[in-house]
Amino acid sequence: MKKSLLGLCVASVFAAQTSYALELKAWVIDGDSEKPFFQQLEKNFNAKYKDQNLTVNVVPIPGYNNAIQAAALSGDLPDVIMVDGPNMANYVWTKMLQPLDGLVDKSIVADLLPSVKEQGIYGPDKKIYMLSPYDSSVLLWGNKKYLQEAGVRIPTSIKDAWDDKEFADALAKLAKVKGVQWPLDMKLNYDGEWFTYGFAPFIQSRGADLIDRKTWKAEGTLDSPPAIAALTELQTWSKNGWIVPATAGDNRFYGDKTAALAWVGNWMWRAHKTGLGHDLVLIPAPKLAGKSVSPNGGWGWAVPAKTKHTAEVSKFLNFALSTEQVAKYADITGYIPARKSSVALSEIYRPGGEGALFVEQAQTAAVVRPVHPAYPVISSAFGKAVQHILQGSDVKDELQKAAKTIDEDIEDNSGYPPFDK
Amino acid sequence: MRQLKKLMPELVMLMPAMLLLMLFVVVPFFMSGYLSFTNEKLIARPIATAWVGWRNYEKLFTDPAFWQAVKNTFYFALLVTPFQLAISLGSALLLNSRLPFRSLFRSIALLPLLTPITVIVAIWAVLYKIPDGLFNHLYQLLFSTSHYIDWLGNVDMAMPAIVLLSAWATFPFQMLIYLAGLQEIPKDLYEAAELDGAKPFQQFLHVTLPCLRNTNIFVIIVTTIGALKLFTQVNILTHGGPNGATNTIIHYMYENGFVAQKIGYASAVSVTFFLTVTAIALLQRFLMKNE
Repeated sequence: MKKSLLGLCVASVFAAQTSYALELKAWVIDGDSEKPFFQQLEKNFNAKYKDQNLTVNVVPIPGYNNAIQAAALSGDLPDVIMVDGPNMANYVWTKMLQPLDGLVDKSIVADLLPSVKEQGIYGPDKKIYMLSPYDSSVLLWGNKKYLQEAGVRIPTSIKDAWDDKEFADALAKLAKVKGVQWPLDMKLNYDGEWFTYGFAPFIQSRGADLIDRKTWKAEGTLDSPPAIAALTELQTWSKNGWIVPATAGDNRFYGDKTAALAWVGNWMWRAHKTGLGHDLVLIPAPKLAGKSVSPNGGWGWAVPAKTKHTAEVSKFLNFALSTEQVAKYADITGYIPARKSSVALSEIYRPGGEGALFVEQAQTAAVVRPVHPAYPVISSAFGKAVQHILQGSDVKDELQKAAKTIDEDIEDNSGYPPFDK
Repeated sequence: MRQLKKLMPELVMLMPAMLLLMLFVVVPFFMSGYLSFTNEKLIARPIATAWVGWRNYEKLFTDPAFWQAVKNTFYFALLVTPFQLAISLGSALLLNSRLPFRSLFRSIALLPLLTPITVIVAIWAVLYKIPDGLFNHLYQLLFSTSHYIDWLGNVDMAMPAIVLLSAWATFPFQMLIYLAGLQEIPKDLYEAAELDGAKPFQQFLHVTLPCLRNTNIFVIIVTTIGALKLFTQVNILTHGGPNGATNTIIHYMYENGFVAQKIGYASAVSVTFFLTVTAIALLQRFLMKNE
């Protein structure tokens, strides 16, 4: 009798547990363009899994990178987080994240754009730690009115993109057009990661890179002659007064229209479209030394190592990365959908859609940022060098300094094992 | 023993303050002292933190960017301190005089102090904007030119621009101290001076200034230390640019510690900074005591 009573107790505890409602917590970036997406994601997921007593609470966090680091230090990370692509390797190295391989359906992984998948794979164990619902890219946006006045050819596909001579020539002509104060806006008013994200393509298209991706040494790569040539050219443009200065604000291209071209990513889509309307044209990333390069990547879903409810998290990830949700992400925020099957669903990015050029770039010209734990240092060193160079510092000197900073940091961390092999 | 018993209430009252001071000032200082000899990173990592000896300090003292930051920080302090002293003393004198609507003006003068510095900086960013910010409008109007100045983007202008903004943003604090100091001065001193035939300016020179001596010492030390801590304005407006012209020691520390995650190195910066500031404060006290 006693035994069966105990059994009953145990059984009732289990019963209570299975019916216990679980609320997952997910931290996301606090961006205006993303907010409506996350709101519908939470609502639709909760509606779908109501019967299983599973809900998710999607919380936008301001100052995201700092918040994640603080939470990781104090052990307060939620069940699911969003991670900025280039920081992923650093987080994996510090054992903050767990692999997603078992948590996400194989069909989803197979359907991803190659560069998006590559961004989420950690080199040493070849496992996926982060999956982004979107890809962001950078290209040239043009004001058609000014380009036509200047008599500049407007390329429409990567195949006929401008080469360096044509690019410089276009800037020189645009500088003379009435109403144009600076031909090119390169968003020097941005901060931090932009100076790596937006400017690495200029050295990469010429054959240099931020770091040698086999030996993980920056010296000899970041300060190689092609990199010096690329940034010297940009410095000349800056000296010519062709680039909007940092202090001129954000809206020179789409607001008061004193800039004719803008080198910036697809997150500016809405602002540009609203500001310029039919005058807006998309121009592919220029072929410098014969090759177009655009940066890629973005924020993606990741799961902290300490997360226990993996079965539920798996449901959430599969939902958030479903074809429909990925397409919604694209249409709501203006980013390129990360799944091939979503491209067709997206109004903007389907073949023939206004943003088709972005998809073309993401598939053919995107170069992933180095997936290495030293990336935060690589990015801050190169970014600072770019800023200094655009402000007139010696190009070679700055690049050598940046390369030295990166190599020293890698040395300080004993080569970030297992990357030292 | 009896002595100690007598002191008991004081000691008990002192406890909370001492505890907080230990917890948030003394312990962190010794921690950063220790960390500055290691290669500690911001996020815990799979390899052990190693003792690196003086390496961080060697790197620090041979980094031109650090020396530029040191130079910039002192340049800022040198410019902003006298400037801020002048406007705070001036406005304190004005508000201490028999001005109509005195209390209204006093509240208005306090406004910058009540506004968060980030908000002030954001507003001044608009004023400094090119080509169409307020300062450029004024410049163009005064010199009837269509040329404009890139206040924050020009290597020579950027620091003075930050000085102007910083002096304005924090002067009410010094002004309050001066105001209190002015009200401490006995009225009969002025009456006596007046009887002796001293003009207002002579009264200021021979009565007000000498009586404000202690206030002055305090304000100068506080302002200098405050100036050496320059960070927010730089971090929001220029990120240390153009070309490192506005990079300060604190901003340099932030870049290394939080952006590049090198806590060991940043600790070396902070220890150096702490020792420098302490030395300056002691030197200032010593010089002023001797006068």
